[in-house]
Amino acid sequence: MLRSSVVVTIMVSLLPLTALVFLAIESTGTDWGSLLTDETWRDSFVTTLYVVSVSTGLSLVIGTWLARTVVQKGWRFLSSVLRLPMFVPHIAAAYLIWLLFSGTNGIGWIEANERNYVTVILTYIWKETPFVFLMMLGTYEQLNRGYVEMAKTLQLSPVDQFKHGELPFLMKPLLDSAWILIAFISFAYEVPALLGVTYPKLIGVLAYERLSTGLYLEATEPYAVALVWTCLVGIGVFLSYVLTASIRRRIERGVRR
Amino acid sequence: MIRQGLLICLTFIPFISLFFVVPTFEIENNMAIVHTIGLIVILSGINVWLSMMCAWWLLWTDSRWKHVIEWLVFLPLFIPMLATLFGLYLILAEAGLIGTYVGVTLALLVVTIPYSIRLAYNGMAVIGRPLLEQARILPSRRRVMYVLYPLFSRLMRTIALFTTVILLSQFALIQLIGAGLIPTVTTELYQSYAGNNRGLALSNTWMLILFPVLLYFLLSGWDRYMVRMLKGRLQ
Repeated sequence: MLRSSVVVTIMVSLLPLTALVFLAIESTGTDWGSLLTDETWRDSFVTTLYVVSVSTGLSLVIGTWLARTVVQKGWRFLSSVLRLPMFVPHIAAAYLIWLLFSGTNGIGWIEANERNYVTVILTYIWKETPFVFLMMLGTYEQLNRGYVEMAKTLQLSPVDQFKHGELPFLMKPLLDSAWILIAFISFAYEVPALLGVTYPKLIGVLAYERLSTGLYLEATEPYAVALVWTCLVGIGVFLSYVLTASIRRRIERGVRR
Repeated sequence: MIRQGLLICLTFIPFISLFFVVPTFEIENNMAIVHTIGLIVILSGINVWLSMMCAWWLLWTDSRWKHVIEWLVFLPLFIPMLATLFGLYLILAEAGLIGTYVGVTLALLVVTIPYSIRLAYNGMAVIGRPLLEQARILPSRRRVMYVLYPLFSRLMRTIALFTTVILLSQFALIQLIGAGLIPTVTTELYQSYAGNNRGLALSNTWMLILFPVLLYFLLSGWDRYMVRMLKGRLQ
């Protein structure tokens, strides 16, 4: 029974890769030249890069800082509370954030149809920080404090203490979290469709709308964009893991010893 | 203490919005609730089963394929969800599964299973091999009932909760794969968010938040009852 379950899981896990093959086949008729010069796609691409980098960057920094603080101070109650936003569906979280900051009943800091995607970014930070926090918490709980103590004994600055005593051990969970968030946020529909503006749309929203709207049913562009975006994320994942392979391997060997 | 209080407040602040407007509890399509509950039960069950089995296998196997399979099951986490969805749409269209319950369930399983395996794998790693190794001495039935179930019950609850939250977050997937024929609470409620009826939108938000909360309390109660019953049997 165990083996058959594992085989089923492998088959299910192979489906996303098969999906990419189907995307590649479907994208064959695309006019890449016009796609790359299309202003709508280009503006969406730039806006998506901005939203993804700000949301992911801030979630990583806040989540890591929270995990570090919770472990150092032993704040168990806060550790439980911080997980709560993870159990709120994204659409509900988006609406709560929008109500909170909108003008009619909320604080009124953000106008409707604001072009800076602040509510989208805030929603992602609120939702994804607990995810990063959980990913980093396990690492911080197992972290050997001896390295930090040694850095303190050597009278290194707090930044250098973090850089030499903690950062190498955080490399793997940080990379994992970063790429999971980038893949998730960059090509999503629900939150940016609900809170975003009509122009420029985030790339996921534009692709989904072009695919599902009757006007573009024959177009292969959404498939091509999905494929290109996946390839970009894939190259990023590959390069970052290859570039950090030696340091990660050294750390793993050290931990095993 | 002040810093801890401030962080708790910041976490809770968005929930204040739930009380800004009086919600109007009304849902026109009861089938949406039936479909949602059905999908939650089926998907949580499959996710818990497959992820626990896969994580267990990954923990114990000496196979030389271990690292390849480990990469393979975690790789979908790095593929953007909408890209997977577009590809799945093409595959399921070929198989004639667009607009069917099976198609929607399969697509949801594809997007939820990598997260579930990750949770199961990390959870088992935290419990540690020595404790699980000792449990392997027992006959399989006693091992599962008296050791593994109590040890893994919280983990299984977390996987079920995660699956539910991901499912409730999916509008594009269910709309595209279900071709609008499989209504769920999310697809029904999504339109209200775009409209001006804040009361209705807020009641829908309440519903989306209450589903996981109810599931959490149900599973917690069940766990407590089962563990107490098993303890009683051992005495």
